[in-house]
Amino acid sequence: MLIETINIVLLGMLALTALAAVRLHDLFAVTIMFGIYSLLAAVVFVVLDAVDVAFTEAAVGVGISTVLMLATIGLVGRHEQRPVHRPLLPLLVVAVTGAALVYGTLDMPFFADPAAPVHQHVVPYYLGKSPEQTGIPNVVTSILASYRGYDTLGELAVIFTAGVGVLALLGLRRRKRPSKEHPTP
Amino acid sequence: MFTLTGIALLVTMVLALIRAIKGPTVYDRILASNAVGTKTVLMIAVLGFIVGEPDLYIDIALMYALIGFIGTVAVLKVSEFGDLGQAQSPRDGDKS
Amino acid sequence: MNLALNLASDALLVIGALFTLVGGIGLLRLPDVFTRLHGAGITDTLGAGAILLGLALAAGWSLLLGKLLLLLAILALLNPSASHALARAARHGIRRPWLDNPKI
Repeated sequence: MLIETINIVLLGMLALTALAAVRLHDLFAVTIMFGIYSLLAAVVFVVLDAVDVAFTEAAVGVGISTVLMLATIGLVGRHEQRPVHRPLLPLLVVAVTGAALVYGTLDMPFFADPAAPVHQHVVPYYLGKSPEQTGIPNVVTSILASYRGYDTLGELAVIFTAGVGVLALLGLRRRKRPSKEHPTP
Repeated sequence: MFTLTGIALLVTMVLALIRAIKGPTVYDRILASNAVGTKTVLMIAVLGFIVGEPDLYIDIALMYALIGFIGTVAVLKVSEFGDLGQAQSPRDGDKS
Repeated sequence: MNLALNLASDALLVIGALFTLVGGIGLLRLPDVFTRLHGAGITDTLGAGAILLGLALAAGWSLLLGKLLLLLAILALLNPSASHALARAARHGIRRPWLDNPKI
């Protein structure tokens, strides 16, 4: 009961934050709202018992993406351009796609249904054999790091390459001289 | 008592979020974001005790405390100097 | 002994919750950034400290206690630093605290 209440309040706060981020025009403020969004999403993940996702959200959402967006703002300026096109056609396309996706979810099995096909195929094998085969107490970790270890290695290589590319684009270097209008005391 | 503390933290998060949405200057938003970060750390620690697995949750709380500080300092650096330290042509003094 | 520990833990948690709420209301109601920093400071030091100490008393003698105290030390070091940096940046950007306002 308490957990459900916390979930509802947190999801409402997430929606509020997202709407505020859409309505703001100062990109710096939008970055801060994204930071708040990511913190709230992390609490949602923790409430949902997805501890590993919460770790990832902490490292990526709060740390890296905030710093990267800030570095980009340092390059491109902090004020939003006026849009040149009317947003009606893209809005229509997005609405139709979203409605189609929501219609598609109606055919999905009920949430956490043990008789669903996805829970019949390899899940019993992993759940039963993972402790003695890998020795890792958390099943998600054992699947990511052991059964699908090569997949995870490939993902890490891709993410590392992307990070190097972004850093090369942003060109983070040392400040050449302290700016004269703000002398550091 | 954990429940009461958790509810108080949740209410404080809502208050800080309202300040972040209203906040007239950008500094109000940064302050509210920092407050939400601290409340998140405490909330995760308290949630661990509510659920009964505090050992697992306290690690996440520690990580959030460290990473949230990095985010705040980066935001403040941009707000004070205008960038994160890139070498650039002379700027046009973009102050808020 | 156990009862005393539980009572102390509950009392600290209630104190922390109260101060957190007071700081949150201050964050919402006070007039400008420099005064709102006071509200946020209450939640960051006294509220967080009391709540974490209450949790530490409830945790018992284990590794968890050490982690809670480490978290308390990190928050006590980092949050005043962040508040100070924020006040300095706001002083550069706004240049006029509410208390300097001649209209009051």
